[in-house]
Amino acid sequence: MAEIAYKSASCIYEGTDTPAVDRLTLEIEDGEFVVLVGPSGSGKSTALRMLAGLEDIDEGTITINGTDMVGVPSKDRDIAMVFQNYALYPNMTVAENMGFALKMRGLAKDERRRKVERAAQLLDLTEMLDRKPAKLSGGQRQRVAMGRAIVREPQVFCMDEPLSNLDAKLRVQTRTQIAALQRRLGATTVYVTHDQVEAMTMGDRVAVLKDGLLQQFATPTELYDSPVNAFVAGFIGSPAMNLVSAPVTSEGVKLGGTTLPLERDQLAELHEHGLTSATVGLRPEQLEVAHPGEGVDVRIDLVEELGSDSYVHAHLTADDTGEPATLVARSHSRTPGRLGETIAFRKSHGPVHVFHPETGQRLAA
Amino acid sequence: MTKQSTISRAEGWRRRGPLLPALIFTIVVTQVPFAFTLYYSTQSWNLVRPGSREFIGLRNYLYVFRDSQFREVALNTVILIAGTVLISAVLGLAVALLLNRTFRGRGVVRTLVITPFLITPVAGALLWKTAMFDPVFGLVNFVLQPLGLGDVEWVSQFPLASVMANLIWRWTPFMMLLILAGLQSMPTDVLEAGRVDGAGPITLFRELTLPHLRRFIELGVVLGAIYLINTFGAVYMMTQGGPGVESANLPFYIYQRAFLGFDIGQAAAMGVITVVATILISTLALRLLFKTFTATREAA
Ligand SMILES: Nc1ncnc2c1ncn2[C@@H]1O[C@H](COP(=O)(O)OP(=O)(O)OP(=O)(O)O)[C@@H](O)[C@H]1O
Ligand SMILES: [Mg+2]
Repeated sequence: MAEIAYKSASCIYEGTDTPAVDRLTLEIEDGEFVVLVGPSGSGKSTALRMLAGLEDIDEGTITINGTDMVGVPSKDRDIAMVFQNYALYPNMTVAENMGFALKMRGLAKDERRRKVERAAQLLDLTEMLDRKPAKLSGGQRQRVAMGRAIVREPQVFCMDEPLSNLDAKLRVQTRTQIAALQRRLGATTVYVTHDQVEAMTMGDRVAVLKDGLLQQFATPTELYDSPVNAFVAGFIGSPAMNLVSAPVTSEGVKLGGTTLPLERDQLAELHEHGLTSATVGLRPEQLEVAHPGEGVDVRIDLVEELGSDSYVHAHLTADDTGEPATLVARSHSRTPGRLGETIAFRKSHGPVHVFHPETGQRLAA
Repeated sequence: MTKQSTISRAEGWRRRGPLLPALIFTIVVTQVPFAFTLYYSTQSWNLVRPGSREFIGLRNYLYVFRDSQFREVALNTVILIAGTVLISAVLGLAVALLLNRTFRGRGVVRTLVITPFLITPVAGALLWKTAMFDPVFGLVNFVLQPLGLGDVEWVSQFPLASVMANLIWRWTPFMMLLILAGLQSMPTDVLEAGRVDGAGPITLFRELTLPHLRRFIELGVVLGAIYLINTFGAVYMMTQGGPGVESANLPFYIYQRAFLGFDIGQAAAMGVITVVATILISTLALRLLFKTFTATREAA
């Protein structure tokens, strides 16, 4: 059982100037499932490896249960880690792989065997205990890697993209298994992924990173409903939020030929900053398809059929200044329109997100 | 069907035909001399006594097996090969572990470490006999002098060990290169997993690194042994096989019997025995090697 705190923790790799993780501050509660998410190279793995003791903490500190971890070697941190490529010991059988940490701890052989067998049962690995990792399928290897972590009954689980080598179906299945397992074991878990769907479905709270900097640390719904900046808004959600830069008018912003009304406090803040344009964000499900003239006129570029609904990709027709802005709308109709046809998008429900055009910061609540 | 097989036979000749000159050349330079050797080994033939040549069947082989010197030399050969290969594998492992770390000037150091393997064997042997082991101005005695051990006549007191020292010096870089290749192909995340699982550096080495290196070490040992069977230059330059046959190995002893003793028949018989023994041992060794490599391919 463990509480983890990153306190302005930075990591600077040798031979680089910019920190891979820049003054990260996170408070993780006991038993919580926290997901670190962000684009490639954003420092997720580095942040996790700092916690596991595989990377030095160059500035700041990380504490586990209040104990400073700077200078503590990984083997003394009581952390189990699941690696992206599983990192199974190739010369050992599945049972030896899973029992290795227990052996290092000096546990007696039959005690070890008992724990390994129990974990194997939990993960449906009993028949494979005497096989070498090379003779397992990808999904089985993944389970062995999980098993190696859970037999240790550690304070903290670290997982670095443990599902990225699985096929889509297995990934969804394993995703729920891992989440259920974590609830059952109650160990604090830090989970790295670049897949925002995984982040949203698994995490109690999600930390979004970009270029080594923490953008937002919040529950999945909070991230979805009130992203703190345009980056988080565009990163969370699939398909991504529509982000369009638009000129500000007295009642709202001008989108195509029409005006998109904004809330009072949003307008007030825009004026306060003296902004003449803003970045506005609308999720695809906030737009609905309408007849031309009933909203913003757009021309269809692409229709993605998903069976239950479809996504309509289109660009603004009224926008004659350079590159026309593109928008995506979710439609419940199977035949929202044909390629090249002119239709309209109309805002249906929920608030418009407004961001500062330069800094990308969210304006008003 | 017959038509197809004749076509493919003609096609087969067309494809393999160009290799024929190389094949003929190989047979002429290796198999023909071997056939002659086989024939000579059935003759009692000493060049010092002209006209003494006669057919004696397999009696030369009998003489060779009764020859206590031959047995001593055979043992020397085994000691020389096994000692050299094992000690240089251990040293090579140690050097490879050092060179696997990052430090300034690693490239230069690595090149320097490899040079002994690139020096002509005869030149290397001469260097060891004079610059290193010479009782008067050798470096070894110079270094040992402060310890009160400065007056050892290395080459005459420990002839076999001296030859072996030269061979170890020559073969350590070879082993080092192979083992370094092994170390660099070691996946880092496996070691990291071991660290997180609570293993210290020594346990990591024993439980994870060494098993990974095993096949590289085996490859080095087998290749080294196959090459070392032919050692001649080092023995010839450093000790001339002496005193007596104390430091002679099979190639040198055969050379002595044939070109200093002029006993062509017996030298030929020894040559045949050596070739047969070599083929036997290296076949076994190579089979072992292929087995470990196919086993690890399954496991990889
Ligand atoms: N060993 C290293 N030496 C120098 N720079 C490194 C090293 N490892 C990572 N970096 C740099 O640190 C930054 C963060 O890397 P990190 O591996 O944490 O990214 P990530 O978020 O895990 O990305 P991905 O999703 O691609 O795994 C990157 O810019 C990367 O180039
Ligand atoms: Mg990563």
